[in-house]
Amino acid sequence: MKYISIIFILFLSCSPKKDQEKPKVAVVISTLNNPWFVVLAESAAENARKLGYDAKIFDSQNNPATEADNFENLISSGFDAILFNPTDADGSIANILKAKTAGIPVFCMDREVNVDDAATSQILSDNYSGCVEIGIEFVKALNGKGKYVEIIGLVGDNNTWARSGGFHSVVDKFPDLKMLAQQSGDFDRNKAMEVLETIMQANPDIDAVFCGNDAMAMGAYQALQSAGKADKVKVFGFDGASEVVEKIKEKKIIATGMQYPKIMAKTAAQYADEYFKGRKTFPQRVPVEVELVTATNANEY
Amino acid sequence: MKKSYLYTILAILLGVLLYNSVYFEKLSKRNSQKNAKFDFNTFADSLYYNGILKSTQAIEINQLLALTKVNADSAFKTYGNRLGIGESAYFMVNATGKIIEKNEGELKVITQNGTTLIIDTKYIFGNAIRDASGLVKLTDFKTNADFNKVSEALNTVIREKAIPKNLNNIINGNIISVTGAIKLKKGKTKNQILNILPIKISKSEQ
Repeated sequence: MKYISIIFILFLSCSPKKDQEKPKVAVVISTLNNPWFVVLAESAAENARKLGYDAKIFDSQNNPATEADNFENLISSGFDAILFNPTDADGSIANILKAKTAGIPVFCMDREVNVDDAATSQILSDNYSGCVEIGIEFVKALNGKGKYVEIIGLVGDNNTWARSGGFHSVVDKFPDLKMLAQQSGDFDRNKAMEVLETIMQANPDIDAVFCGNDAMAMGAYQALQSAGKADKVKVFGFDGASEVVEKIKEKKIIATGMQYPKIMAKTAAQYADEYFKGRKTFPQRVPVEVELVTATNANEY
Repeated sequence: MKKSYLYTILAILLGVLLYNSVYFEKLSKRNSQKNAKFDFNTFADSLYYNGILKSTQAIEINQLLALTKVNADSAFKTYGNRLGIGESAYFMVNATGKIIEKNEGELKVITQNGTTLIIDTKYIFGNAIRDASGLVKLTDFKTNADFNKVSEALNTVIREKAIPKNLNNIINGNIISVTGAIKLKKGKTKNQILNILPIKISKSEQ
C-alpha cells in the first residue's frame, strides 16, 4: 500500500500541465515610467486575461540588463508566451532568442528589433509615415523657412530613428530650414525640458521644435513657457497623448501623430491566442497606421 | 642565444596574430558599406519606369468614389492597399479634368462631373505611391527602414525628375490627365479633400 501511494504521488508530480491550467502570458515592457507604455502594458495584460490566460507585467526600466533578468525569470517560471516591448533594437535580440530556444513565442509590440527571424511577429506603429506627415505640416507651418531643434528619443530604439527619418525625409528637402541642434531627450519629459533649456542658451532664436514623442513635446513646451517663448516657437510631438491633443485644440502645440497602443496590444494578445490554438505562421512585421492630429481635426480625438 | 631567437620569433608570430585578429574601421564607413549592398536608386528607377508607369491597375477617381459609397469594404478590398492595420488605404487612380488654378506646388483640377481634385506636385513624400502601386511587398525587405528607403528613392525620381518635366508645358485652363496615389479613409470618403500625389501628368487630347 505504501509503495502504491508513493507511485501515485510520483505519477501526479511527473504528469504534464493539467488541461485546465491556464497558459501564462508575460507582458515585458521597456518602462512603466511613461504613461504611454503603461497603457500598452495594461491593455496587453487585459486582452490576454479576456482571452482566458493568466497575465503578468514585467518592467524592464529601460535597462537591457533588467530585461535580460525578466526573461530569465519568466522562462524558468514556465510562461507560455511573451508580449514584448523591447528596450533596445539590437540588445533585446538575445533575449528573444533565449525565449525562442525555450519554445516560447515572442510578439513584439511598438518597438522593432533589427532582425526578422527572432520574434514570432512584430506589431509596430508606422512611425515613419506618421512623421512624414508631421514633416509636411512642419514645412507648411514654417513656410519652408526657419531655425529648428530636434529632440530625439532613446538612441538605441528603432522608433527614434524611424520618426527622425520620416521627418527628415521631408524637411531636409527644404534648404531654408536649418536644424540648429539634434539631441536626445530619452523620451522623457524632464530630460527634454532640460535639453531645450540648454540649447536655447546658445541658440535663443529658434522657430520650432520637433520632438520624438509627446512627453518630450510637453517638456519642450514647458521650457518655452518658462523662457516666455511659447507663443513664438512652434512645437510638434508624436504619440497622440491626450494632454498634447488638448494643447493642439488650444493652438499651443501644432501637431502630433496619433498612435494606437491599444490596437497593438490587442493584436499581440490575439496572436498569442492563435498561437496556442495551433497557428504557427505570422507576418513578421505588422504596421499600425498613425494619424496626423492638427487643430483642424483635433476635436475628432 | 638560441633562446633569444626563439623569443623574437614567438614575439613576431604573436604580433602577426594580434594584427590579423583585430582591425579598426570608422562606424560611418561601416554603416555606409552595409547600406551600399542594395542600390535603392536603381531599384526605384526601375520600379517607376518599368513597373508603375506601365501598370494598368489605376481606377478612374469618380468610379472609385461611387464604389466607396455603395460598398466601402468591397471598394477598399478590391482597389485599395493597406499594409497592416488601419482605417485608410492607398489607391492608384486616374482622372481627367480642367486646371482651374495652377499654384506653386499644386494644381487645382475639376473633372467633367464636377469633382475637385488637388494635384500635389510639391509634397510628394511618404509611402503613398509605393503602397498604392502594390508592386513592393513589406516582406521583400528585412527591416522597415529599408522598406521606407524604397519610398524615398521612388519619390525623389517622381518629385525631382518626372513631374517637373510633365509640368513644363502645362498652363492654367489646360485639360489634363493625371494618374497618381490617393489616401482614403473608410467612412470619411464624403468630405475628404481629394489630394492626389501624381506619378504622371499629361495634356489631354479631349
